[in-house]
Amino acid sequence: MPQKKLSVRIDGELISAVEGQTILQAARANGKRIPTLCDLEGLTPVGACRLCIVEISGTDRLFPACTTPVQDGMSVTTVSPKLTQYRRVSLELLFVERNHVCSACVSNGHCELQAMATEMGISTVRFAYNYPKLAVDLSHPRYVLDQNRCILCTRCVRVCAELEGAHVWEVTSRGIHSRIVGDLNQKWGDAKGCTSCGKCVQACPTGALAEKGWAVEEMVKKNDNISSLVRRRGVQA
Amino acid sequence: MKKVKVATVWLDGCSGCHMSLLDMDAAIISLAQKIELVYGPLVDAQEFPEDVDVTLVEGAVSSQDDLNKLKKIRQRTRLLISLGDCAVTGNVPAMRNSIPVQKLLHQVYVEGVQANKIIPTDGVPALLKQARPLREFVKVDMCLPGCPPPAKAISSVIAELLDGKKREGTLAVKFG
Amino acid sequence: MPRIQDIGAFTAVRESGMAKLVPQVPRIAVGMGTCGRGNGAEGLYRAFAETIDRSGMNVVLASVGCFGACFQEPLVNIRLPGLPLIILHRVQSNDAVRILHELSRGNITNDLAYCKVEEWDHITAKLKYGRGYPEIPLWNDVPFFKGQKKIVLRNCGFINPDDIEEYIAVGGYQALYKVLIDGRPENILEQIKASKLRGRGGAGYLTGNKWEFMAKAKSDQKYIICNADEGDPGAYMNRNEIESDPHSLIEGMIIGGYVMGATEGIIYIRAEYPLAVHRLNRAIEQAREHGVLGDNILGRGFKFNIELVEGAGAFVCGEETALIASLEGCAGRPRPRPPFPAHKGLWGKPTNINNVETWYNISPIVTLGPAWFTETGSPKSSGTKVFSLVGKISSTGLVEMPLGTPLRTFIYDIGEGGVNGHQIKAVQTGGPSGGCIPPEMFDTPVDYESLAQLGSIMGSGGMVVMDDDNCMVDVARYFIEFTHSESCGKCLPCRVGLNKSLRILSRITEGAGTVHHLGLLDELSRYIRECSLCGLGQTAPNPVLTTLRHFHHEFEDHIVARRCQAGVCEELALSPCENSCPLHMNIPRFLQLYKENRLDDAFVSVIMENPLPASTGRVCQHPCDSRCRRQTLDEPVNMREVHRFIADSVFFSDRYEEVLKRVLSRKLEPTGRKIAISGAGPAGLTAAFYLAMLGHEVTVYDSKSEAGGMLRFALPEYRLPKAALRREIELIERLGVKFIFNTRVGFDVPLNELADRFDSVFISIGTWRESWVYQPGTELKGVYPALLFLEAVSKGERVPIGKNVAIIGGGNAAIDSARTALRRGAEVTVFYRREHKDMPAIEEETQAAKDEGAQFVFLAAPHRVIGDKAGNVKALEIVKTTLGEYDASGRRKPVASDEIRRYECDSVIFAIGESVDFDFARASGLSLKPSGTIDVDRFSLESSRSGFYAGGDVITGASNVSNAMAYGKQAARNIDMKLMESDRWGEILPDFEFGQDPPEVPSPNHRNNGQMLAPVVRVRSNAEVVMGLSHEETLDETCRCLRCDVKVANVS
Repeated sequence: MPQKKLSVRIDGELISAVEGQTILQAARANGKRIPTLCDLEGLTPVGACRLCIVEISGTDRLFPACTTPVQDGMSVTTVSPKLTQYRRVSLELLFVERNHVCSACVSNGHCELQAMATEMGISTVRFAYNYPKLAVDLSHPRYVLDQNRCILCTRCVRVCAELEGAHVWEVTSRGIHSRIVGDLNQKWGDAKGCTSCGKCVQACPTGALAEKGWAVEEMVKKNDNISSLVRRRGVQA
Repeated sequence: MKKVKVATVWLDGCSGCHMSLLDMDAAIISLAQKIELVYGPLVDAQEFPEDVDVTLVEGAVSSQDDLNKLKKIRQRTRLLISLGDCAVTGNVPAMRNSIPVQKLLHQVYVEGVQANKIIPTDGVPALLKQARPLREFVKVDMCLPGCPPPAKAISSVIAELLDGKKREGTLAVKFG
Repeated sequence: MPRIQDIGAFTAVRESGMAKLVPQVPRIAVGMGTCGRGNGAEGLYRAFAETIDRSGMNVVLASVGCFGACFQEPLVNIRLPGLPLIILHRVQSNDAVRILHELSRGNITNDLAYCKVEEWDHITAKLKYGRGYPEIPLWNDVPFFKGQKKIVLRNCGFINPDDIEEYIAVGGYQALYKVLIDGRPENILEQIKASKLRGRGGAGYLTGNKWEFMAKAKSDQKYIICNADEGDPGAYMNRNEIESDPHSLIEGMIIGGYVMGATEGIIYIRAEYPLAVHRLNRAIEQAREHGVLGDNILGRGFKFNIELVEGAGAFVCGEETALIASLEGCAGRPRPRPPFPAHKGLWGKPTNINNVETWYNISPIVTLGPAWFTETGSPKSSGTKVFSLVGKISSTGLVEMPLGTPLRTFIYDIGEGGVNGHQIKAVQTGGPSGGCIPPEMFDTPVDYESLAQLGSIMGSGGMVVMDDDNCMVDVARYFIEFTHSESCGKCLPCRVGLNKSLRILSRITEGAGTVHHLGLLDELSRYIRECSLCGLGQTAPNPVLTTLRHFHHEFEDHIVARRCQAGVCEELALSPCENSCPLHMNIPRFLQLYKENRLDDAFVSVIMENPLPASTGRVCQHPCDSRCRRQTLDEPVNMREVHRFIADSVFFSDRYEEVLKRVLSRKLEPTGRKIAISGAGPAGLTAAFYLAMLGHEVTVYDSKSEAGGMLRFALPEYRLPKAALRREIELIERLGVKFIFNTRVGFDVPLNELADRFDSVFISIGTWRESWVYQPGTELKGVYPALLFLEAVSKGERVPIGKNVAIIGGGNAAIDSARTALRRGAEVTVFYRREHKDMPAIEEETQAAKDEGAQFVFLAAPHRVIGDKAGNVKALEIVKTTLGEYDASGRRKPVASDEIRRYECDSVIFAIGESVDFDFARASGLSLKPSGTIDVDRFSLESSRSGFYAGGDVITGASNVSNAMAYGKQAARNIDMKLMESDRWGEILPDFEFGQDPPEVPSPNHRNNGQMLAPVVRVRSNAEVVMGLSHEETLDETCRCLRCDVKVANVS
């Protein structure tokens, strides 16, 4: 059945979209970028990081582009002073939540969080740092989970469940105490369900999941591979 | 023309930011003609002078001594710049923050050494509970992140300030 | 058990139920909801059962749910055949025998009666009990129930929730029967839509529309869910509804299932509600047995099942998508909508979720139709809503009112205002994520839109009342702490945003906040509200945003002045008494110093914090009394009399010179700065004392001939002997303060001249102008303003007042005038337009005036003064008032009636308040407030003109001595700080080592109040009435102190 075509305006520009697409998908299909950290093409969107918030004409509310479906005639604004301000707050909060010591991170220079902050011109944060005490799980022979660098985007959870089908990762606890855990809170090395495929590592936007053996700045993620894998398999989230 | 009085301060950091500052090649010569370096690890002055125009502070606030210094600097400086990640985010010095101070000192000075297992107290300033960035204690006018901030970024910031501009946010400098 | 399959069986069950509900023998029904049980209803029920067993009486004993008046629990209703149902309140187990005994003789226990019900509208049926007992008020004449309309709570407290027959007796399952007979679900859907019923869970979405989506959705399976995950602190209406009347919920859901084409219903209920779970299970079981649930319902072929699921207790599971996740066995985390549950809900099937209370409205709408339903409530919000009225309010409980009822009605009419006369400060509606609404906005109608406009929400109907004992910053912090700990952590704004909000709020309550924090908090809150994924995050910042908007001054107090007026934030106060003292005297310290037999130290401690201790020791309003924790044992420590005793013991003894030397030695080196003070009243004297101590050269100007202001010229000798005041002023003179009398600043000395000659000026001229009502006759001879009268008497002038004196007013000036007139042999009558409890005068003074023979006429306002031909006062006419609406001060406004009364009298003294001398205020060129007082910065007290400060009554309007002195103190500190560019305050304050151990056994004695002269003696003289404590009594008082100031060091 051919999908219905819709006309949508994004930042004033008229684009055509397909019914069922989210605003983010429609924007991407037309070469428009909307900032996001939790979304990864091919995985079910969750709307967790709220960086992709956009304004829609006719309402005062803000909507996450990753989970809001396009509607015919919709007019979307992706950049405004208010959106920029809120996106900056989001990034500030991510930096203070855990211990993002870029200078000591394998992903330094290749980190989506770091890049986003640079793009938004963030040179400092206005909130006090939490400096929580967090574990680093080195038990897996090939990979590391460093909670200090996790932003709870849950890409690893979804890639493991939706692509690998292993369902190793979950989020435990709630609120500020939320943590990514493997196999009912086992050490990663003891997680029987893990196939060591490494998809979670490649999907992770920061240095929270990394391959062992790399020094600072050396870990380059290939999360395009995930998206192209999805496309090749024809999996549609 | 009256030279702009500039000071640099080294708190809890590795001095890498100062290295980066010196690493600005030829630009340092033209800069030297416009500024007077009145205090810092690079000059001899013992006491932080009054009426400083710009102070670049490297390092996190880690000890009571750092904090006292910082407060004095703030009083005597028109424009205070956090230089580098330690001053801006806490960075490496802050990695000790989840460990209680006494436990930390014990690990370093007692468990970590073969002989002379004593936690030094004389002549060393007491550590604060946590190492924290400058702006959690005083008003900071500008932040220049990076570990270290690139020499170009430092020189362009200073150059812009000398031109009477303050353009934070337009510099594409990154943390780390 | 008969399955009801036809109308005959229905009628049989109905009659059987009716025989239990209104039997031909007496019936006793005990309120056994959780609220009743918490207050001992179970023991009471047992006591009834045992007594009945023993006596073999023919009585029906039943357990019912709660009737709503939770503050009157345990509630019991009793009824004799043919007579009204009597609701007894606060019934204790040992009342059971008596109640039964009286009942057996055909009597009821009148002393326990709360109200009666002669007939009851169960909506689905009407029940007539009978008429009688004229002495007992009807239920809806009792303040708590007046105006309540019970639609949702129609059966609560009447029927036995464990007996389906009683439910059927009052028309239960009739609506369902009607719906099934009619056989056209679309008709019912139209009715629900026409009723404009809105979801009672809080969001207020139109139920009819929601049902329509679901009805139109095509699927092999649909689910209906009742959200009974009531998690708001302070809200318990759903619990009570289920505990009292579970079948109404079941019936509503079955009708919903029929209309929307669903066959499966799920009730998601909190596991923390064991009684509700128990009763629901029982009800579901009975409904199945009776054929109203399950297969072939009521023989009409419709199938519907209900399953009960107990939630694990996460607050966020009240959010519908999180609730669905929880039902599916996942962690309760919300997911983005769309898709909405009506399309893709539980197990991916169309699902409808409604709140408990929404379901309770279904059968009434089906029974009486949408037109009947929309008669109640406001145009956009029809019907009623149940609220749980809790917190600092006299009457607490469940209140069902038409939507659109003003907030004021809830607070003052139904709730009957604050507890023990406390002022209500705010109401928070809608649970932890609702906003705090200040009294100025209590006129707001309670409906979805109006509350949203104020930044609050309807929520599930919680209404938490806060009074002056609540710190609004702490309230905001508390609620953020709650939502923060209940955040699921999925989306960033809620997870980290609330974490940072909480930290900032905690810093402020710890006294470590900065002004910068406020802006950050506001920005963060807006961000969380607009960017969060689900309702929890979107509403969580409401308490912060509304307190920032409506109680901004409290945030400023915490940050700038480092003070918490309510005394809640521990880090900001030494002890409750210190916190309540306008001068912030270290009260525990001087008590302890005296206890340690260190009189001189105690005196220095007192005088350095309060330079007029002999005066305040006699006339202070003593706010410390109301805060003293000792009153939880017996009465507050008499702190006022102790510091008076300490002051007198030095002022009037040979220790004076020596102690004075000690005080003088604390004076700082001369600074060479000159300061002028205008007004030598309490504020001016206090400022002069401190500024002189700080080393400045101080000159005080006053228009009168002596220093002391109101203390000297308005307070009568019998309250404050002038000798005491003179001692205090002498001490200030000895500090080097210069006084210039009979000189009016602004007239005799222009302000500009002061500005030239002095470095700073402090204006504290008080309020010496009597407010005046121009009424017929006020121009007559014998009409006096109170202040003029008191001043003339204090100067020894003759004021002809005659034999009969009428005084108008209820403040201290009125009482002072009354007692002064009594001492001149007059007969005195005081007229006040409100009631005794509303009088602003110190209660002891009012009592003393009564003892001395003053008459009081309350609810009386002056109408006119009548004179004779010579122009002398002959009589006063007053108009009787009634009390109307509550005003912002929480008191009822007096409203004039038609009734005029005449009192013969020779003079009339008006004491209705004082105001600032406008001539001066205008001439000063300083910026003024609309009230005519001088406008100053709240913290520095600097006026619109740099270097000119003002304090005392001249900035607040008429207040009292201690408040005025506090302003003098505050001004002195700020003047010094600005002149010297540093805070030198600590340098003059003394420091003492003193005992830091709370008493192991505090003195067991009651409060020592000191001897008073007998009324017959004192009324004939000017001698001081309250003679003060003895040394032994003083010592005893110091031993009564519990030492709240001692804080045990944190053991880590």
